[in-house]
Amino acid sequence: MSLDTVRPSPGFLEHLPIEYQDLVNHGQYGKQYKASDMGKFKELVEEHPMCAGCAMTLFIRLVFIGLPRPEHTVIVGTAGCGRLAISQGNVPFIYGNYGDTNSTASGLKRGLELRFPNQKKDVITMCGDGGLVDIGFQGLMHSWFRNEKFTTIMLDNEVYGNTGGQESGMTMKGKVLKMAPRGKVDEKMDVVGLAKVAGVDYIARIAPTNPGRVLRTVRRAILIGREIGSTYIQAYTSCNIEYSIPTPEVMKDAFAIEKERYGFEEIISERAQKFLDEVEKKKK
Amino acid sequence: MFTQKNLILTRSNPCGQGGYQFLYKIGHYGVSLGSKPQEEIQQIHWEADVIRYTSETPLTYEVCHTTELASKTLKFLNDSTLNEFLEKAFEYFKELGSLEKMLPEE
Amino acid sequence: MSNAVAKPASWVPKGDLQKEISAEKMLLELPRELQFITGSEAAREAIKRANIDCAISYPITPQSETMQQAGYLFDEGYIKEYYRGEEEIGVMSAIAGASRAGVRALTATSGPGLMRGMEAISSWPGARVTPVLLNMCRVINTPLAIQPDNIEMSFILNTGMIMLHAENQQDFFDYTIAACEVTEHVDVTLPAMVSVDGFFVTHARGPVSIPSDEYKLNRRDGWKNAVPAMDNENPPARISRDAPIQKSNFISYHMHASWQQEVFAAVERSAKYFDVLLKGRVEVINPEAEEFIIASGSAVSQAREAIRQEGENGRTVGLVKVKTIRPFPSAQIIAAVKNAKRILIPEFNQAGWLHKEVCSALYGKCKAEIVNGPRVYGGMTMPTEMILEWLQKTRKDFA
Repeated sequence: MSLDTVRPSPGFLEHLPIEYQDLVNHGQYGKQYKASDMGKFKELVEEHPMCAGCAMTLFIRLVFIGLPRPEHTVIVGTAGCGRLAISQGNVPFIYGNYGDTNSTASGLKRGLELRFPNQKKDVITMCGDGGLVDIGFQGLMHSWFRNEKFTTIMLDNEVYGNTGGQESGMTMKGKVLKMAPRGKVDEKMDVVGLAKVAGVDYIARIAPTNPGRVLRTVRRAILIGREIGSTYIQAYTSCNIEYSIPTPEVMKDAFAIEKERYGFEEIISERAQKFLDEVEKKKK
Repeated sequence: MFTQKNLILTRSNPCGQGGYQFLYKIGHYGVSLGSKPQEEIQQIHWEADVIRYTSETPLTYEVCHTTELASKTLKFLNDSTLNEFLEKAFEYFKELGSLEKMLPEE
Repeated sequence: MSNAVAKPASWVPKGDLQKEISAEKMLLELPRELQFITGSEAAREAIKRANIDCAISYPITPQSETMQQAGYLFDEGYIKEYYRGEEEIGVMSAIAGASRAGVRALTATSGPGLMRGMEAISSWPGARVTPVLLNMCRVINTPLAIQPDNIEMSFILNTGMIMLHAENQQDFFDYTIAACEVTEHVDVTLPAMVSVDGFFVTHARGPVSIPSDEYKLNRRDGWKNAVPAMDNENPPARISRDAPIQKSNFISYHMHASWQQEVFAAVERSAKYFDVLLKGRVEVINPEAEEFIIASGSAVSQAREAIRQEGENGRTVGLVKVKTIRPFPSAQIIAAVKNAKRILIPEFNQAGWLHKEVCSALYGKCKAEIVNGPRVYGGMTMPTEMILEWLQKTRKDFA
């Protein structure tokens, strides 16, 4: 819904809610802000009920800032912690059944293409590790095998945080959590590897330690997802509650985990790279 | 499409396995046509029996395998061969009917 | 290497050549031609004329034939978007996604597939999405079998979905067309399920009168829904339905209750449209009779033959055919059997869900003895003799 297609009647704008006016006048619509601009413009998400110290919150905030075209974006989420913050953003949000994000997004993106053939709607699924790779595994993998044109973002806190801290497929081997009283038996799932096998066009593994890099990664994933094929971002977003990380040390933990096993990695298919080169060349 | 001439009743197949039964009547004789559900759609076919009506109300009949037309249940795989048989049957029954009229009353 | 035949540059989707008309015109006014086709083919003919935007398929006996045919319709250009999903809950979620985008979506399933997709299907009504689900009933496991038993319909009764029960191939065509339009009325905005008893309808040929395929239904208007489509184009709602739990567990029960009331009220509001398109939500034969059979689906065909035979023997038995299970035509049934002394309810399932519905509707409003059966299940059809035996016994027991 951009001002190209829908506009308040003249004289009515000043009577619309102040949030709307601020978003139009001081928001990111039609502009691409940098990480250093944070705090100087009206963001899409402001309030949220997340725990103090939740790294996911920072990452979600950065995703919203990174959206290249929020006026034409629809986000699909599911049960978990992420949806608590995502639902507060000024972007339509579908909250369905647990694990159905990628199946729903497959139908949604195709439906939107039929309905608005002259626009390109960005569809993003943003959910936790459990929702994507345990209960949502079938939907996730098959949306990738079909190379559906939308972006999948995993908020990987390596636990089922919202339900009280149970082990998930993305929990590290040996970690003692609820439902894993003797420590997790299997290895952390290699979803980046699965994405490679499925032929995902843009794969990124990232920790929220470098906001500028997060913004660039998000933008790349969405632009490629819009035109070329499936894209995937796996973000390390720690759960300070279940992993007992004191709030002041959350970022230190992010840096440490990034160094140890969650280093930044980008795997870009040939056609996606060609597309990126064109797009990023144009910008310069 | 199968012929609708001389068709006196369309009903669910009384065999109790689903499908339709179509009853044709020319005089005392007729054809009972059945089409039942099949596990493979390609196997759907017609089954036709020559019948002799024993009463009109209630409508009752007996399967009659003693005419020259058919000595057993016939199977048809498509509507055109079925319709050919039905036309033949209508002619046959008309003649049979006039022949039977010529016989002395028993 | 693909063995698909490429389309020439001049190819025009056949759907683009069809003229758009309303369901009322298509079902009630257009001249029809008689054909003898299977239920799967009748469904295909309906889909061909229903102006479907997006169909998603997944194979399960006995509906695979229909969704395969939908694939051919997509190839010819009658359906705009089509793919084979990974399994039922994925398909049903994707159908919801497509419907949320504001386009007309359709799929089909049977028995265990319906069970597998239940989480997604049961959340369609609350989401106010409007897909049409063709449901070719088959037994639910365990044990696994493919024969028709319609126990699965009982699982949908309380979801808030619109439910129609087609008697035969003709109904399968008519009800599908009707459902595609009624679901999208602004005062309805709900999903619908059109059920048939599997093999008896899908894998058997029956007489079906069909209007010309030069016509298709009016397209879905994605701007007209009780709840905005999730297309980020419909001001002012940015989120169509904020899950109550997002805001507060404390108020969520309030919101959920009012939400449910809206859905169940919308089901009732759909009744007036079906009354027109189906020419009444019940069909009554021999209204003056003392004994009645109330049935839906294939059981109606068996009942008709039993009634015909009773008629030949000088006995008048009435029939009430129930076409829509939701919204349930309570008032019409009460009116039809007001003078009845005995009522039989033949069903193709052991639970007797129709019997329960009828008893709920008639309690305190009808003096008739309502017999708990006859029933067959596991996938067989009911022999006419069984209905006749029960009629005889009921006469003796409840003179």
